[in-house]
Order: sequence, then structure tokens, then C-alpha cells
Amino acid sequence: MTELKGIWKDWRLHLLVFGIVALSEWIGVFQFTVGPGVILLLPMLYAMLIGLGLFFTPVIKKAQALNAEPLIVLGVTLLIAKIGVIIGPSLSKLIEAGPALLLQEFGNLGTIFIALPIAVLLGLKRESIGMTHSVAREPNVGLIVDKYGFNSPEGRGVMAIYIFGTVFGAVFMGVISGFLATITPLHPLSFAMASGIGSGSMMAAASGSLVAAFPAFSDDIIAFAGASNLLSLSTGLYMSIFIGLPLTEKMYQLMTREKSSHSVGKGA
Amino acid sequence: MLLKNIQEWTWLLIIFGLIAAVGNWIGYSVIPSSSLPGMAVLIVICLAGLILQHVLPVNIPSVAYIGIIGILVSMPVMPGSEYIVKWTESINILALATPILAYAGIAIGRSWTDFVKLGWRSVVVAMFVMVGTFLGSALIAEVVLRMQKMI
Repeated sequence: MTELKGIWKDWRLHLLVFGIVALSEWIGVFQFTVGPGVILLLPMLYAMLIGLGLFFTPVIKKAQALNAEPLIVLGVTLLIAKIGVIIGPSLSKLIEAGPALLLQEFGNLGTIFIALPIAVLLGLKRESIGMTHSVAREPNVGLIVDKYGFNSPEGRGVMAIYIFGTVFGAVFMGVISGFLATITPLHPLSFAMASGIGSGSMMAAASGSLVAAFPAFSDDIIAFAGASNLLSLSTGLYMSIFIGLPLTEKMYQLMTREKSSHSVGKGA
Repeated sequence: MLLKNIQEWTWLLIIFGLIAAVGNWIGYSVIPSSSLPGMAVLIVICLAGLILQHVLPVNIPSVAYIGIIGILVSMPVMPGSEYIVKWTESINILALATPILAYAGIAIGRSWTDFVKLGWRSVVVAMFVMVGTFLGSALIAEVVLRMQKMI
């Protein structure tokens, strides 16, 4: 954030974003039911897809794509400020929900229990450790690269999830959060806490869908999601160092040993 | 150097704020004259946090300062907090998220070549990773909130 130079003068970029935002908001929210669940398509999803589409047209030059990056960071600061002024008036409620907020951070280990077996089943080797030890945002990429090296299987694995999250994380979270919140009996406030996974845009998309689906809980959803995201940002790395990564290693060894002994059994 | 940065941040936040205010108008029918005071408050909070991060010697991300300042100025014990809450209420959080993702869409085009190189297995695992963290946290939150009878 120290080398911002004249990005505000990139009128081409800002006018394009202005146009994208105006069009996306004008289209508005679309929702449709899939079985018992509801899938919500929010203006922010169109905005991202239109922006991505424009990248491949001559309208966007390399300079715009580079200049857009710091704007994401500044936009997220505005989002955090807004979340702050929502939390302020309901701080006592948030403190009351403190135990749930803290404990649900351990739910982030769900990546290991759900995704690691899938990765091993699909035949991925040590890549699966990098892939599933966490949700693979910047601090976790740093951790894996630091421990195993960038060109290791683990490093390639964490980068794969990082890239997917960067490109489609927000869209994916936006779609599944509304859907899961409408097909499962879990309370929207539980999903609100779950929305804080340590990425500003994914949190916005996931909690945004919840707000659109359950407008009555709007302020509580934003306060819980924002607080949980802040917790994930500050505890996420330590969670991975002390629990996530060792646990993934252990489970990976268990699963691959079982598998190889099975195949030996079949062979014999 | 700091002054130059403050100038740049201010311009960018104003541009972003104006785009979001128009989005707030089109999408949520809040006319800009009633959302701009709130937007100004948010911009000032952001600037305060960015400057604090710059001048304080500890290495804490600026969003942490911004979140804390936002909470402090809107707490009921803070004089004038009722105005801050009233003004910022008119800004729909979704209207702030739309421009973020519009800029993000343009920026991540650069990651697209990496993305298309991912195999289908990576994509499948990535989706389960996200569902995993989301469902895992939601389940624990549900259990604890129910035990506390908060839901």
C-alpha cells in the first residue's frame, strides 16, 4: 500500500467500474429454487463476471488490471468500516455470542475432514496436504511455501486452491451460502459466523446472500460475519501451524496407509 | 511520503464511495443526498485507520484499526454515535460489495491463465474445501448458540 501512484487518475478504469456497478445493480437480485433450497444471484456476482469478461476485451489494458488491485483493498477497508459501525451498537450481543464466535473458528478445520478424503479418493498425492489443510488464503500459502517450498507437491496444491479461491471464491461462496442456509435446518446466524473465512470478498459474498435471503436478521448477520472474519484473519495462521497442518499430515498418512494395505490385500 | 499517500487514498476512497453511492441508489433506492454523509463518515474512518497503520510502529493490518475505530465511534456510550449510526445506516452493505467485486473481476483476469491450467480434480477439491470450512464453522456455531439459547 505504499506505492499508490496516480491510480485515481485512471478514469478509464473507474468509469468502467461505474458502468459495471450501475448495470449490475439495475439487473438486481435473481433467485430461483432448486428443490427445497434457494439460489441467489446477487449484483456483486454479475459485477465480477462482467469485469472478468471485459478483461479479455481491448477495453481493459494491462494498466487497468494492475490498477484495480489496490482498489479491492481500499474497497474492503470501506466494507470493514461499515461492519465496524454495525458492530458498535450491538457490541454487547456480540460479546454474548463470544463463545460461539471463538469455537466456530475450529470449524475451519472442516476443510480437512471433508475435502482431504475427496482429494485422496481422486488419486491426488501430497498435493492434497497443501490443498486441504486450510482454505488457502495468503497466510496459508506463505506457510506451505515456507515449509515445503514453492515447487513441492504441497506448494502446488495450496496454489491450486488459492487460484480457485481468487477467481471463483466469492462467486462460489455467494451461491452456496444462500443455498445451504435454505436447505439445512441450521440458523442463518450460524451461517453468518461461518461466512468469516478470512477473505473480505468471500465474506461479503457469503454474508450478502444470507442478508438477501433473511433480511430480518440483516444487521446481526453482518456483525457476526464481520467479527468472525476478523477472528479468522488473526487466528487462521496459528490454527494452521498448530492444528490444521499437523492434523492433515496425520490423516493423510492414515488414509494412504489404509489404501495401500487394501491394494496389497487385493493383489494377494 | 505520508501526505502523498493520504492524498491518493482520499481520492480513491472518494471515487469508490461515489460509485457505491450510485449503486446504492440504483439497487436499493437510497438517493445519494441521504447516503453521502454516511459515506463520508466511512471514508474518514478508513483514512484514520490507514494513517494509524502507517505511523504506528507495530505491524497490525490497517483493516484491524479500521474495524476497531468503526466499533468505537458507533458504540452507544460514544457522544454523537447516534448520528454516525443514523448516517451510515443508509448505506447498504451489498452496495459496497458490488464495486469491490467489479474491480476484483478486472484484476483477476490476470490469474485466468493460471486458473485454466488447474485440472478438474483441483476444482472439485477446491469446492469441497470451501464447503468444508463453511459447514464446519456453521455446525459448531449452531451447537454453541443453541446451548446458549441465543437462537
